[in-house]
Amino acid sequence: MSDDRSFVVAQAFLLSAKTYWTRTLYPALREEYEARAQAASRPRNAKEAAALLEDSTLYRYYCWLERHLQRFKYSGRYGLQPWHAQHRERLEKELEPAEAELDPGLEYPPYYTAVDIHQHPGGVWSDPIAGLVYERGARTTTPLAGSRHKDLHERLTAAALERCPAPQRVLDIGCGFGKSTRAFYETLPEAAIEAIDLAAPCLRLAARDAARAKAKQVRFRQMDAARTDYPDASFDLVTSTMLLHEMPPAVVERTLAEARRLLKPGGAMVHLDFLPAADPFHELIHYGHGRRNNEPFMEPLARMGLAETLERLGFRDVEIRPFEEAEGSVDPGYRYWRFPWVLIAARR
Amino acid sequence: MRPEQTFFRDPALDRAFGVVMALATEVYVMKERLAALEQALERKGVLEAGALSAEPSPEELAKSAAERDAFVSHLLQNLLGVQQAKGPSG
Repeated sequence: MSDDRSFVVAQAFLLSAKTYWTRTLYPALREEYEARAQAASRPRNAKEAAALLEDSTLYRYYCWLERHLQRFKYSGRYGLQPWHAQHRERLEKELEPAEAELDPGLEYPPYYTAVDIHQHPGGVWSDPIAGLVYERGARTTTPLAGSRHKDLHERLTAAALERCPAPQRVLDIGCGFGKSTRAFYETLPEAAIEAIDLAAPCLRLAARDAARAKAKQVRFRQMDAARTDYPDASFDLVTSTMLLHEMPPAVVERTLAEARRLLKPGGAMVHLDFLPAADPFHELIHYGHGRRNNEPFMEPLARMGLAETLERLGFRDVEIRPFEEAEGSVDPGYRYWRFPWVLIAARR
Repeated sequence: MRPEQTFFRDPALDRAFGVVMALATEVYVMKERLAALEQALERKGVLEAGALSAEPSPEELAKSAAERDAFVSHLLQNLLGVQQAKGPSG
């Protein structure tokens, strides 16, 4: 048991430590890597980059802190999960009535339940209050973004509307607790927005927030994005935010094929996700992040050949490009740790 | 239960650094709370300078035992080396 003040202050301490890791340890590690690469032979891939840093004490602490600051954030005396569990009764009441359309018969796929994603004990699906835990945790996923995290979703929405200017029907797949969906229903008050996810606890939170925002044109439904119940050609725009890296490649491929089936001819598909730059250091950092953060499909997504897959599935106008999630983040002089955001877009 | 990932040559260091970080968290929580308390008491004119420096009585110590046990449990569970959320091992 911890009191609310201690919980908040401990979480603030952990965020401060994560910010130090982001702004100080990461650039120092990058410098050490460069110095070692110049002194020895330059690594050609992530494996060689790992070998170059094998005996680096800084690299070990960098890895340790990435793993364990996240553990402390979710677990232990001041963790998000126990604190929310302590307030379970009040929080479950807050989620009533559940306005999401849930599917009691849905079976979660084995890949989804095998790992507690983000080191969130029980994952985002097994506890009725998991959506609230996830929402609170996501506020500090990118320490430097802070309150500007909303900016990221608005930027994605703008990028989607550049490719599909006035969609009447939008599908947000893997909508989670509805943060990505919100940018769409706020920007497109006339459009019909459907948002689907596997996790019932997240959908309940998303539906509650949409109801509070008086957004009547959005529905949250529990469904597997790889196998939906919508008819062919029923959407102008299919989108996802930070979804593809959470699936094994075979499921990514089925999901993309399903998205193509759901799109009207000429309709646009726009995903925001992570793919490291073609650089051994960035690959090492990103693949290691996936492992340390319990996101085992980060590396397989980066290696599956997404552009070729999209073309094979019959998409056209395939684009995979770096995405500037915040002002200046893709400038060459940017030194801090960041996710390797990419925009993945295509057209049916 | 899955064994926690290790980053140092000697896994003892991985676990020991967990102890350090847990302790650092507690220290920060305590410092912040103490500062808030002192300010509140000073504002109300309840606390005089040096009043917190006196030795606690045996009764005071007995009363704080449960809090102390929770502190110790948080600190030392790091030594078990078990994942709190199931993920890749090794």
